[in-house]
Amino acid sequence: MKIRRPKPLVSKVKLKETLNPNQQEKENNEVHADNTVNANSSNKRKENGDIVSSDLSKNEEKIRSIYKNCSDVIYRTFYIGNKTKALLIYIEGLSNEQEIEESVLSPLMNERNMGTEIQSLMTKTVSAPNIKEVSTYIDCVNELSVGKTVIFVSQNSSAFSVSLTKWEKRAIEQPESESVVRGPREGFIEDITVNTSLLRRRIRSPKLKMVRYLVGKYSETSVVIAYVDGLASEDLIEEVKRRVKRIDIDGILDSGTVEEFIEDHPYSPFPQTLATERPDVVTANLLEGRVAILVEGSPFSLIAPITFYSLLQASEDYYGRFLIGTALRWLRYIFLVISLLLPSLYVAVLTFHQEMIPTSLVISIIGSREQVPFPAIVEVLIMEITFEALREAGLRLPKQVGSAVSIVGALVIGDAAVSAGIVSPPMVIVVAITGVASFTIPRYSAAIALRMLRFPIVILAGILGLLGVMLGIILIIVHLASLRSFGVPYLSPMAPMQANEMKDVLIRAPLWKLNKRPHFTGDYNEYRQAPNQKPNPSKGGDG
Amino acid sequence: MRNYFKPGRLLLLICTFPFLLSGCWDRIEINDMAIIVATGIDLTDEGEVELSVQIVNPQGLGSSGSGGGQLGGSGSVGTMVSLEKATGKTIYDARSKLQEKVPRSLFLGHNRVILIGERLAKQGIKQHVDFFARHPFPRIKAYVFVTKDKPIELLQVNPDLERSTAEAARELADQKFGLDVTLKDLLQMLADDTRGAALPYLLVDKEIPGKVGLKVNGSAIFSDGKLIGELDDERNRGLFWLINKVDQASVTIEPEAAAGYISFSIINAKTKMKPTINNGKWKMTIDIQADDDIVENNTYLDVMSPAILKKLEGQLEETIRHQIYDTLEVIQKDFKTDVLGFDEAFHSHYPKEWATVKDNWTDTFSEVDVEVNTKISISRPGRSTTPQGVPKDKVIE
Repeated sequence: MKIRRPKPLVSKVKLKETLNPNQQEKENNEVHADNTVNANSSNKRKENGDIVSSDLSKNEEKIRSIYKNCSDVIYRTFYIGNKTKALLIYIEGLSNEQEIEESVLSPLMNERNMGTEIQSLMTKTVSAPNIKEVSTYIDCVNELSVGKTVIFVSQNSSAFSVSLTKWEKRAIEQPESESVVRGPREGFIEDITVNTSLLRRRIRSPKLKMVRYLVGKYSETSVVIAYVDGLASEDLIEEVKRRVKRIDIDGILDSGTVEEFIEDHPYSPFPQTLATERPDVVTANLLEGRVAILVEGSPFSLIAPITFYSLLQASEDYYGRFLIGTALRWLRYIFLVISLLLPSLYVAVLTFHQEMIPTSLVISIIGSREQVPFPAIVEVLIMEITFEALREAGLRLPKQVGSAVSIVGALVIGDAAVSAGIVSPPMVIVVAITGVASFTIPRYSAAIALRMLRFPIVILAGILGLLGVMLGIILIIVHLASLRSFGVPYLSPMAPMQANEMKDVLIRAPLWKLNKRPHFTGDYNEYRQAPNQKPNPSKGGDG
Repeated sequence: MRNYFKPGRLLLLICTFPFLLSGCWDRIEINDMAIIVATGIDLTDEGEVELSVQIVNPQGLGSSGSGGGQLGGSGSVGTMVSLEKATGKTIYDARSKLQEKVPRSLFLGHNRVILIGERLAKQGIKQHVDFFARHPFPRIKAYVFVTKDKPIELLQVNPDLERSTAEAARELADQKFGLDVTLKDLLQMLADDTRGAALPYLLVDKEIPGKVGLKVNGSAIFSDGKLIGELDDERNRGLFWLINKVDQASVTIEPEAAAGYISFSIINAKTKMKPTINNGKWKMTIDIQADDDIVENNTYLDVMSPAILKKLEGQLEETIRHQIYDTLEVIQKDFKTDVLGFDEAFHSHYPKEWATVKDNWTDTFSEVDVEVNTKISISRPGRSTTPQGVPKDKVIE
């Protein structure tokens, strides 16, 4: 694949006297100056790359021809101070019409003092915070497409773009896929400026960098790569940028699209970036030297690189007491194994290694399986597939119908199947425990990978017994060990072993002991806090 | 695009297929198995091996589904297991004949109990245990018992508290009031030329008229794999002391100082063997240490008094010593079989001297001078300190 280098497009013409730089304005400054645009949209750009003409009607014609058959583009001709003809263009629904009226149209139309130059007139009269001069049609289109208002003035060979964007967006809500008992309840939304502001509110240091790319031939979606300068390794940042830049598709609908294009191992069932809705999770990862990728239109941001263990860590581990966090982590590790192996162990032991079951248990299993017409493996597959189907159905259906499905499903799976003699009661227990176990994994993408891997292992168990289960485990471990996420071994710090990083994997060490950052990027900026911060009455307090 | 079906990869993929071909050959659904929980072996009049087995009867487990209970509402414990019997030249031969009668594949993986009929035991068990050691399925941890009646009669017993004879026998062995000898222990004992073997007796208990149960009582002594004699319950206790197997035991004595009995429960018993050879005289010193609790006091003695406790301790030591000497007498003089592990003790302490007597150890064994030292301490007099229901002035202090 040929990597096309993006080229800087926007000339950084900016009016110096921007008024009242508010939060959003600050935001825009922080966004890296080289607002780069994916090169694959350059064809369109080239033909429209002309300089804005000083002939107003020619300008209008040009814009109208670009936005042909676009009913949502609004053109408004007016006269500045009743004299100079001007054309105001915006896209309906992306701009704040009331603001346009109040701070652009009426001041300009009522302007009496026409002697000064048009540039200074604009800055003096228009009371919008962000106004800049653009000189090419491409820039005009770019500005329009993000909701800005563009004003052409007759006899003037440049246009003015006024940032008065406003569109409907969802309110900030609690993230549904990662709810917590304790911890921040804010979640990302679909609007990327809100999302970046959520991050900026958490890391106020200007070291937090956000580089914006436009990806997608038609969608021209903003993709922001966020990192903390001095914490994330330069190589990593470069690699993430390189991978994002080489994406060449029509449109990006979700961060999942980006994820699929930047993975190291596209055929693996395991996620190699962490998708999260929680700004606090992103912040924590940024501070550990990772890179976050935010995508316009998706409440899920991606974190890279990750390891297998980060998929098993919930944000709440760090907000609660560390002993509890450690216990919960171990609970997850145990149930991870159960969710992967329990059905296959059941099949293997029941069909090949009956002597391994305690005698009284084997007797009760025989009793309960007496009426079941299927071999254990068929029984397991029936139940597990039914369970997955129910889960999937409950997920996709509208909430009202979903509950009905789960009730019917519970009846079918739990009771009716047993009384009909299709499956045995122990099997129901196995399926239930497995189902619950897979929901203890905090990351949905990891949980579903393991849930699906369960099926091949069940089949192996049905063919080769415990040997088959072992074979399956070995294959999975070999695969996991060969995975890398942006160059970081997936099983690190377990393999390769880094003993001093175990304190955030095997246990959740108290925060005052986590003095070093995880160093998958070398010993770069090693310490994150001062040592010896263990609280202690002699270190302050009543004294 | 990378080609994912390069010849190399394809070859590797094809190489994995034979793994699957080997699969399933020993796959057996649990519903197609007849799970044997107890095996009895004995001799027929024709000298053939009679194999009787107790098989779990799934029909008797109560239907699956909503009922689910293993005891099956109607209390039909009797149908829980079913009994089958066949004869053959060897155990496996008998098993094959048995399979002709049983519609499901016989499975020995859950065989927890092996009953050996006295008739077969007298003829020798060495050749027969080979099957249990060689075949991969039988459990090496199965408990082995000797029965006076034919094993099948014991397998017919419906024990009250357990689901089957097999379970009852296993639980009885676990209680450790009798010997608990597993197949592994037996195989080890038989493998040793100089060693005898002791197996517990499993008997049909008929104390309540019209009802039969099981009990362990006494030990069967084997020499060279043949049953040569029996230790009664009393001497069995002595044996327990000698081989350091006292786990739960009670001792009852009649104190000299007063009328009545006092019962002790033994906790923490420990036996140590110390072999010595002095001037060609083989001697074994056995040190026994134990803590006792008083659990019943029928006398007027005040067991809180240190003087009385001291006396009781002495008497207890004497009683136990006597019991042990009595047992030793029978084992050394009558049976002339080393079931005590003296051979091992001498072997490890005096390898040179051992080599000289190895071939006729039985003779030396019966001549070994045994000295038993007991050290018993009564640590707790029990919940009530004074004798119950006795006027204060009659209590002996």
